[in-house]
Amino acid sequence: MIATPRKISALKFGLLSPDHIRKISEARIVTADTYDEDGYPFDGGLMDPKLGVVDPGLKCKTCGSRVGDCPGHFGHIEFARPVIHIGYAKLIHKVLRSICRSCSRVTLSDETIEMYKERIKRAKKMGQNLDAVIEDVFRTARAAKKCPHCGEERFDIKFDKPSGYIEDGNRLSPTDVRERLEKIPDSDAEVLGFDPEVSRPEWMVLTVLPVPPVTARPSITLESGERSEDDITHKLVDIIRINQRLSENIEAGAPHLIIEDLWELLQYHVTTYFNNEVAGVPPARHRSGRPLKTLTQRLKGKEGRFRSNLSGKRVNFSARTVISPDPNLDINEVGVPEEIAREMTVAVKVNPRNIEYLRRLVLRGPDNYPGANYVERADGRRISLSRVPDLTEVAEKIEPGWVVHRHLRDGDVVLFNRQPSLHRMSIMAHEVKVLPYKTFRLNLCVCPPYNADFDGDEMNLHVIQGEEAIAEAKVLMRVQEQILSPRFGGPIIGGIHDHITGAYLLTKKDARFTKEEVSRIFYAVGYTGDFPKPTVEDGVEYYTGKQIFSVFLPKDLNLSYKAKICKKCEECEEERCPDDAFVVIKGGELVSGVIDERAFGAFAGELLDRIVKDYGTDEARRFLNTLTRLALFAIMKFGFSTGIDDEDLPSDAKERIDEILDSAEEKVSELIEAYESGILEPLPGRTLEETLEMRIMQTLSEARDKTGAVAGEYLGMKNSAVMMAKIGARGSMLNLTQMAACVGQQAVRGERISRGYVGRTLPHFKRGDIGPKAKGFVRTSYKKGQDPLEYFFHAMGGREGLVDTAVRTSQSGYMQRRLINALQDLKVEYDNTVRGADGRIVDIRYGGDGADPSRTDWGNIVNVKKIVDKVVRNRA
Amino acid sequence: MDRKSVLELFLKRRELVKQHIDSYNDFIENRLQNVITETGELMTDVDLAVRFGKIDVGKAEIIEADGSRRKITPSEARLRNMNYFSPIKLEMGLVKIHEDGTREEKDMEWVVIGQMPTMLRSTRCNLYGLSDEELVRNGEDPLDPGGYFIVNGSERMLVTIEDLAPNKIILEKNKGYTKIEEVAKVFSKRGGFRALTTVQRDREGMISVNFPSVPGDLPLIVVMKALGLETDKEIVDSISNDPEIVQKLLENIEENLDIQTTEDAMEVIGKKVAHGQTREYRLKRAEQVIDRYLLPHLGVEPEDRLRKAYYIGRMVERVFELAFNKRNVDDKDHYANKRLRLAGDLLDDLFRVSFYNLVRDIKYQLERQVARGKEPSIQTAVRRDVLTERIRHALATGNWVGGRTGVSQLLDRTTYMAVVSHLRRVISPLSRSQPHFEARDLHSTQFGKICPTETPEGPNCGLVKNLALSTELSTGADAGELDKVLAELKVTPIHKH
Repeated sequence: MIATPRKISALKFGLLSPDHIRKISEARIVTADTYDEDGYPFDGGLMDPKLGVVDPGLKCKTCGSRVGDCPGHFGHIEFARPVIHIGYAKLIHKVLRSICRSCSRVTLSDETIEMYKERIKRAKKMGQNLDAVIEDVFRTARAAKKCPHCGEERFDIKFDKPSGYIEDGNRLSPTDVRERLEKIPDSDAEVLGFDPEVSRPEWMVLTVLPVPPVTARPSITLESGERSEDDITHKLVDIIRINQRLSENIEAGAPHLIIEDLWELLQYHVTTYFNNEVAGVPPARHRSGRPLKTLTQRLKGKEGRFRSNLSGKRVNFSARTVISPDPNLDINEVGVPEEIAREMTVAVKVNPRNIEYLRRLVLRGPDNYPGANYVERADGRRISLSRVPDLTEVAEKIEPGWVVHRHLRDGDVVLFNRQPSLHRMSIMAHEVKVLPYKTFRLNLCVCPPYNADFDGDEMNLHVIQGEEAIAEAKVLMRVQEQILSPRFGGPIIGGIHDHITGAYLLTKKDARFTKEEVSRIFYAVGYTGDFPKPTVEDGVEYYTGKQIFSVFLPKDLNLSYKAKICKKCEECEEERCPDDAFVVIKGGELVSGVIDERAFGAFAGELLDRIVKDYGTDEARRFLNTLTRLALFAIMKFGFSTGIDDEDLPSDAKERIDEILDSAEEKVSELIEAYESGILEPLPGRTLEETLEMRIMQTLSEARDKTGAVAGEYLGMKNSAVMMAKIGARGSMLNLTQMAACVGQQAVRGERISRGYVGRTLPHFKRGDIGPKAKGFVRTSYKKGQDPLEYFFHAMGGREGLVDTAVRTSQSGYMQRRLINALQDLKVEYDNTVRGADGRIVDIRYGGDGADPSRTDWGNIVNVKKIVDKVVRNRA
Repeated sequence: MDRKSVLELFLKRRELVKQHIDSYNDFIENRLQNVITETGELMTDVDLAVRFGKIDVGKAEIIEADGSRRKITPSEARLRNMNYFSPIKLEMGLVKIHEDGTREEKDMEWVVIGQMPTMLRSTRCNLYGLSDEELVRNGEDPLDPGGYFIVNGSERMLVTIEDLAPNKIILEKNKGYTKIEEVAKVFSKRGGFRALTTVQRDREGMISVNFPSVPGDLPLIVVMKALGLETDKEIVDSISNDPEIVQKLLENIEENLDIQTTEDAMEVIGKKVAHGQTREYRLKRAEQVIDRYLLPHLGVEPEDRLRKAYYIGRMVERVFELAFNKRNVDDKDHYANKRLRLAGDLLDDLFRVSFYNLVRDIKYQLERQVARGKEPSIQTAVRRDVLTERIRHALATGNWVGGRTGVSQLLDRTTYMAVVSHLRRVISPLSRSQPHFEARDLHSTQFGKICPTETPEGPNCGLVKNLALSTELSTGADAGELDKVLAELKVTPIHKH
């Protein structure tokens, strides 16, 4: 029976009172042994059958349920003498220091107590933390020399770690401590931060110990038939044994010393029972020398109950495998191996309209792909189809009200995730496409948000269970809904690598296609509409790439921006740009400009951005799908490759590069000379040495850039590598510079390489040599190759990068964890304020302007220029 | 220059793991004996003592279940999951001490005290000196480099550990607002004992000395006077003649005017190390502490005190020079300040502790024999498992003495290159969880010694290194030999004027 759900209105934390412990206890535990010779648990032992059942087949003596249903029941141990609860040892100390030794009143005058009560009341009303006030009470009460109530003289009480209290040289026994705490009046306890209703101070000194149910400390039977007890049980055995001896000795009237010793021992066992890692207490050990895992150890740390079991949930209906690319999938789709589809199920309720369909699935059973693994009867009983001998029988029996757990099929909504899940786009909803083979397949456009590549990456898939969840995921988490990043208000999903190159090749100025070629393109993309109007030149009909591209643009789109290849000339010639870098789209027609990274690249696409914002996510998805297919067709038609000879430079280029480097080295030696002769002028705020270093670094980096420019000049846009770098498809001009011209200065922590032998980096140089070569300037290119010294310096610079990445990943992971913990329950309320879980306002308006970054134009709420542009061009 | 032929010649010798084999051989031939000699004589609580003589390690052998002994090849040990160990024989002799104190020394006899793991291709290995054909006949790959051990049939190797050089003064400067500004540190190492001695200068220019077993710091003047330099002149002379430093030294001396004689100084130390004891005992303890725990690498006898004083003087001078910007802090990552601890050094550590355990066990066994009224016998008092088990366990698990883990590793047999690379691996004891940026950097001084390219990515980056291809390691020289050479060069030892 499912109980009616109720709303929890409040939670209150307090201390367990001895009476309460006895009340919840089902058995008083007095025997230290667990099982007798026949293997039956002792009554009154730690495995008392009244404490619950762990053995299958037995019934609980208290509630009559079997294993799994019986939650277990508490028992208790009566201590012969009270014992300090180690978790409260510090607090007890604070309290003892604040109360009178004879009358146990808080050593503050009645007026002050009233004043503090008022402050506490106020703080409570405001929902503030009481710690500050209570800390203040402790501080002032401690200072009193005499009790203002009974006039008794006071001594400072020293805390003797871990659980002793020394007053004026005398050790207070737990009995003394408890007596004093008992005498504190309820009204005084309140000032000390206690709520006497649920936690009286004296309850911090234990007289009764609750014994956890056996279900919380199950014993395991080893292969040999031997029973092995839980660490907690071991510890409880110790406690009972010593407690027993203590009470026997007390009864027998043993000498004071012996009783003290046993008492101390009991304190030790109870302390380690709660926490086996208390400073100053040797940890209790197992026979093998392994420290016992007691209560605190069960909860604490990464492997503890909280972080491992409560925050770290494990889930069903999930799958994980290697990912691989599939450009033919929709960006919304994910290719799922049949093997996984057969294992993962969706629960479908049987109704008159789907009953025939579901019957067919049930009939096919768990092993034939579109089938089902379970059926659930109307009364909730599950039938596993793999165990049913005759599937027809089950198929016959299903009727509305039953539930069929059918295999995953095309179109099911699933969540797809790649760790580390650093932003919300790391988990997105995809539609299933069941495919052969064993990898998850995904469209290349969703690589950037997942930060995925295919060098062995694995991803997780979760099948959503339940209609509401599916609907919610479809609205909020679909890939197409995530095209705009909430980080910077531009698309984070878009074309990459070959998509960009392909689109560029297609829309370049001189790209022309015959009618036949265009037909093939349209076929490949799946376009079925009209052809654009062909251009005629010398009697031959042809189509420009821009025309083909325009076919897929919305007909009322107007847009202009500067492409990635733009050289940022001082005066922009706009449409007449010699590089065709000024993109103008008028009425859905690409008038000028090339399509490159700035059009539809991830993190950069202007055109894509416009389409998502003006035409909606569904249109954007379609656009991205066709555009990438178009681009891939184009790149396949033209053919595209790059190789090491793309970095070949003619000999005069090499000469020019050498000249540049020579003159830079010349300039550096001039700088050094100037420094040595003392005519170098220091830069403001820098020492002479720093100035020299900066100037040298600057000179050398300029020289490297210049060599890069020379290389770029000779390589030109015809060069595949340069093309990719310029249009933003892959690589950068710096990469090319290093490959073709000059690797440049190697640095460690932002400085030229300087550590090493006395006065020099390597013994190959003279002492005091601060020239380029001696400090790690690599003048060769990767293509040419480095000499041993350059190679070594390069390794030094490279090592820093490796260390950085290794150290950073661990550090940023921890930082992320702390940020998540701090921010997880912030939420924008209906009054536009950002508040925490307790209703505390964090921000009056979200971000100060209430704007959702993903709806902004790269962070700006309005882009006036774009609006003007749109209107003006529309008219023109 | 044709580097290729040089390299070919080098590789032809196939001695890529020469360092480990050399180090192991040195350990077996010389250092083992040193351990025994340093241990001295075993005194029991009954009227017995045991003398130790020569130690010798035999060739690898096994003792079959029927008790028979036989030479074993490594491949047999691997296949049968056995140990490739050699017997350790030690000359021992009982000494009976009569009530009047006279000693009756019985004859020395050879006793097998346990087994030592045998490094493959070392002098104690049964493959030593075999030709390629003979190796093949014994089931061994002639190209296998050796340099590892076989424990329970698995191949275990001891990775080289990179350590800060012992017995070397390292200067450090404390950053930020601290009381102590400049520190000179020495990890003084004598045998297996390491004692960190520091000389530090606080913000006021006061120098203090810190060494093990003395809680807190001692003023420089106290230490110097305790070491026998009683006059101010002697102290200053042992440190520096730089007027700036002398000035500061005089300030130090003025601070400690109440301590004049060596005895005064000893009294101060005695109060720290044996507080609340009799004066006589305090002085005795103070002397002991000074001799044993202060810079023990210079000696542990009262005669060595002068040398210690001058050594401290040098440390003080450096600290002042650092304070006056006449000297820079030492670069801890400079490879001159590093020492590589090879298989022999690691086994030395392990054997020392294991042998000490054995000695304690022998003592216990002898006392028991006497208590039971039996005729004491060394042969039965030595339980060889005590030593063997301890060494075997450490090697099999990698849990070394001193709580270090991962010292021995399973030899990586993925490919031949993996084997060679693994045997030439160098690990740094620095924690991998802390950034330690500087220690992970490729240091200029590693040129030619450490491979600049081969280091793992991830948390161990730069802490796990590999020796460069042509690196060979020397095993270190005997200090006595060096003394002789210096004496021949007319270098005179320090003496009091």
